[in-house]
Amino acid sequence: MAAPLSVEVEFGGGAELLFDGVKKHQVTLPGQEEPWDIRNLLVWIKKNLLKERPELFIQGDSVRPGILVLINDADWELLGELDYQLQDQDSVLFISTLHGG
Amino acid sequence: MCQVGEDYAEPPPRESLPAPRLGCGQKCVKCKQGEPVVVIRAGDAFCRDCFKAFYIHKFRAMIGKNRLIFPGEKVLLAWSGGPSSSSMVWQVLEGLSQHSAKRLRFVPGVIYVDEGAACGRSLEDRAKTLAEVKQVLHTVGFPWHVVSLEEVFGLPPSVLRCCPQELAGTEGAYKAAVDSFLQHQHTLQVEGAGDSYSLARGDEEQSWPQSQDPHGPPSPAASPSAAQTEALCRLFESVQTLTAKEELLQTLRSHLILHVARAHGYSKVMTGDSCTRLAIKLMTNLALGRGAFLAWDTGFSDERHGDVVVVRPMRDHTLKEVAFYNRLFAVPSVFTPAVDTKAPEKASIHRLMEAFILQLQAQFPSTVSTVYRTSEKLVKAPREDCAGEPEGPRCLLCLCILDIDAADSATAFGAQTSTLSQMPPSALQAEAGTRTAPCCAVGRAPGCCWKACRREHDSQTQVIQQLCYSCRGNMKDLPSLDPLPPYILAEAQLRSQRARVMQEIQDYLIEDSDAETETTQS
Amino acid sequence: MPAPTCASCHTARAALRRPRSGQALCGPCFCTAFEAEVLHTVVAGRLLPPGAVVAVGASGGKDSTVLAHVLRELAPRLGLTLRLVAVDEGIGGYRDAALAAVRRQAERWGLPLTIVAYEDLFGGWTMDAVARSTAGTGRGRSCCTFCGVLRRRALEEGARLVGATHVVTGHNADDVAETVLMNFLRGDAARLARGGGLGSAGEGGALPRCRPLQFASQKEVVLYAHFRRLDYFSEECVYAPRAFRGHARELLKRLEAVRPTAALDLVHSAERLALAPAVRPPRPGACSRCGALASRALCQACALLDGLARGRPRLAIGEHKHEPRDEGPRSRAQAAAAAF
Repeated sequence: MAAPLSVEVEFGGGAELLFDGVKKHQVTLPGQEEPWDIRNLLVWIKKNLLKERPELFIQGDSVRPGILVLINDADWELLGELDYQLQDQDSVLFISTLHGG
Repeated sequence: MCQVGEDYAEPPPRESLPAPRLGCGQKCVKCKQGEPVVVIRAGDAFCRDCFKAFYIHKFRAMIGKNRLIFPGEKVLLAWSGGPSSSSMVWQVLEGLSQHSAKRLRFVPGVIYVDEGAACGRSLEDRAKTLAEVKQVLHTVGFPWHVVSLEEVFGLPPSVLRCCPQELAGTEGAYKAAVDSFLQHQHTLQVEGAGDSYSLARGDEEQSWPQSQDPHGPPSPAASPSAAQTEALCRLFESVQTLTAKEELLQTLRSHLILHVARAHGYSKVMTGDSCTRLAIKLMTNLALGRGAFLAWDTGFSDERHGDVVVVRPMRDHTLKEVAFYNRLFAVPSVFTPAVDTKAPEKASIHRLMEAFILQLQAQFPSTVSTVYRTSEKLVKAPREDCAGEPEGPRCLLCLCILDIDAADSATAFGAQTSTLSQMPPSALQAEAGTRTAPCCAVGRAPGCCWKACRREHDSQTQVIQQLCYSCRGNMKDLPSLDPLPPYILAEAQLRSQRARVMQEIQDYLIEDSDAETETTQS
Repeated sequence: MPAPTCASCHTARAALRRPRSGQALCGPCFCTAFEAEVLHTVVAGRLLPPGAVVAVGASGGKDSTVLAHVLRELAPRLGLTLRLVAVDEGIGGYRDAALAAVRRQAERWGLPLTIVAYEDLFGGWTMDAVARSTAGTGRGRSCCTFCGVLRRRALEEGARLVGATHVVTGHNADDVAETVLMNFLRGDAARLARGGGLGSAGEGGALPRCRPLQFASQKEVVLYAHFRRLDYFSEECVYAPRAFRGHARELLKRLEAVRPTAALDLVHSAERLALAPAVRPPRPGACSRCGALASRALCQACALLDGLARGRPRLAIGEHKHEPRDEGPRSRAQAAAAAF
């Protein structure tokens, strides 16, 4: 049983538009059987934070191609992507590269 | 960023949704009588007979209008067992039969490459497939060559050399050849020596392919040695991405076919690429950085090897037409799993592009034909502003003229090979700070500061340097080049030795002429 | 999985893996490399000679923000004078917010900013007015058609106004890659024939244009902006339909997921495409009204404005459709004016 986690979830580059324009979200992930990883964080975000057009943020079990994910300011590709296990006080930033220019 | 600055053109008019469903009473659009069986293009319903005529006509027209295949010429049909190449073999068979009004007049042979080892198939499975393959080949009756991909381990380095041949491809030469052929044939008929030139030649060849038959007399090339099979498996297992695997397979296969063609005097190789496949291949190769070679990779004819020209006579047929034809006229084919069979969509650039194009095609029915038509506008000469001699060095693997610039030039190639990303930040800062004058603007001067930290040349870099942009990208997915077949490594070494000698001669000549100039001046 | 250490400084924790080389770098080392590479593109490509007065097309978005920031870093070494030029298309709400971002940037960087408005340049036409006028005629797309032609012209006018000798825009590798994919998918051979280069030398009196970020991937541009804490505007234009480019963009993103160098590989392909002479655009002449490059009597911008004035905007666009094969004057004029 994993303890509840407090993490910062942030959206930028236009991704925040799908979240009512709110960039920073300080959230508490409830304790659960499985450890929290990015895969189930995405499910949680879709259920709890995402306000509109989920397909513009999540495709399949991952983020839409073109959305960058930074965990504590490092590219998630360096950290195992969906399998990264969240730690308390982590910050996860989603930046869209698909908007504006 | 906002792109309208460059794409404010209206997209071309798209065909709207498919034509209305066939009414029960609808007739063939061609003969207005037959019961329609297949809808091609948007809403054209053809009956069985008209579809057959249409299909055959397209094939002959493609060969006829290009006037590249001379009467009596030996043509090797590259048959993979798949639907398009099977259909191609059948078209040739049909076209050679003397009942045809416009008979094809070349002399065919068939090559089948067993790629089972690259796809990790067991020997039993491969044997089963080969039995099926040989059965079809016996039915066809053309001379045939069944080779296994393992044989690349026995290829000579010379297969990688371009053998320029005077191309007799002029209109006059073609006509003269046709005339002389007809005359020859006439004589034969008068003498009663045979009813068909091609069949007579075919009989002549019948003896040797048997040597490759396991039931025939033993031959050194009969079946691959276990060591070669293991070497091939090891090579393919070492490739880290499916994209590079597919490209490597294609490369080795084409070298092997080229070798067989040369060894048996075939001057043309026919491949069964359909219009759908070519559109996908074009987009795939574009994404793989093969922009300079698209006309060779997807055009009707591919003269990169000089003496053996690859032609693609099925390039006007869509996959749907092929599938219907094969089904309606019982064209046999042999299914063999490929490297990418059952691979997920995002496993390789090839799979991804295939899925994308077919999906877009479903949405916009003109997608494939639009891409295909655009490919017709590409030419085989290097772009004017890209320096490159027509007879410049060739890529060791794909045998195209190298499309690379000096490292560190202001191009995508320069950006990728730039040594900048390998420098420590302090050096970068120094670079950025001191380089007010464009000392390396030309980027080509030897000994220029950008090249200072080039690593020592080892055999790996020796090979890499002889590759085009795209093949370099693929070879990056091989942790080591050692498992490559020996002919590639040997040719790489030979070439760089030759280059060194040439350089020495060059230096010697320059010194010499300098001395001469001095003497004349003094 | 812990992040590896930076391959450059060997001390800090790596923050990203570079698409072009697969190298893992920390934020600061990446930013330094990024800047050095832009410098290299400018120097090796001889894009901006010392002494050049450079108009940076600033939209407030990520690309132009990063471009302006990097050029500002490099300006003293390259001997450049920078001017920001922003175009006010007159799109209520959207443009105001974007222009506010440009103003903030200009102030922070201490760079002179000039804003040129469609309304002033084009006889009172704003994009909103154009949109109203073209409503019901397949609005979205023709809006972008107008806007593209007019913006190019506006940027050129703005650059002249500030005495610039060169114009730079923020197109990155992904933009170029998307364009070449799209031009194949819709069979636009004429545009393929000119694509690929770094810019245009400025024939026929047009200012030379270039895109110093052409080899930088979208991902790196965004991460650079992130690590340098640049503030940019990231909203979609209200008129952007982007239907067809959307396909190309999605394809590119998927390609990059399979092979990280995909965008650069496509740029390489674009640089090397060789098209038959027949599809290459002819040498242009001058517009009889404004003197800009044109392959017909009127340049594209003037032809569009002319159509608007006569209340037949649709006709102005529609005409080109009837041209056999060739993509029409808009592309030729554009080709000539600059290779974008």
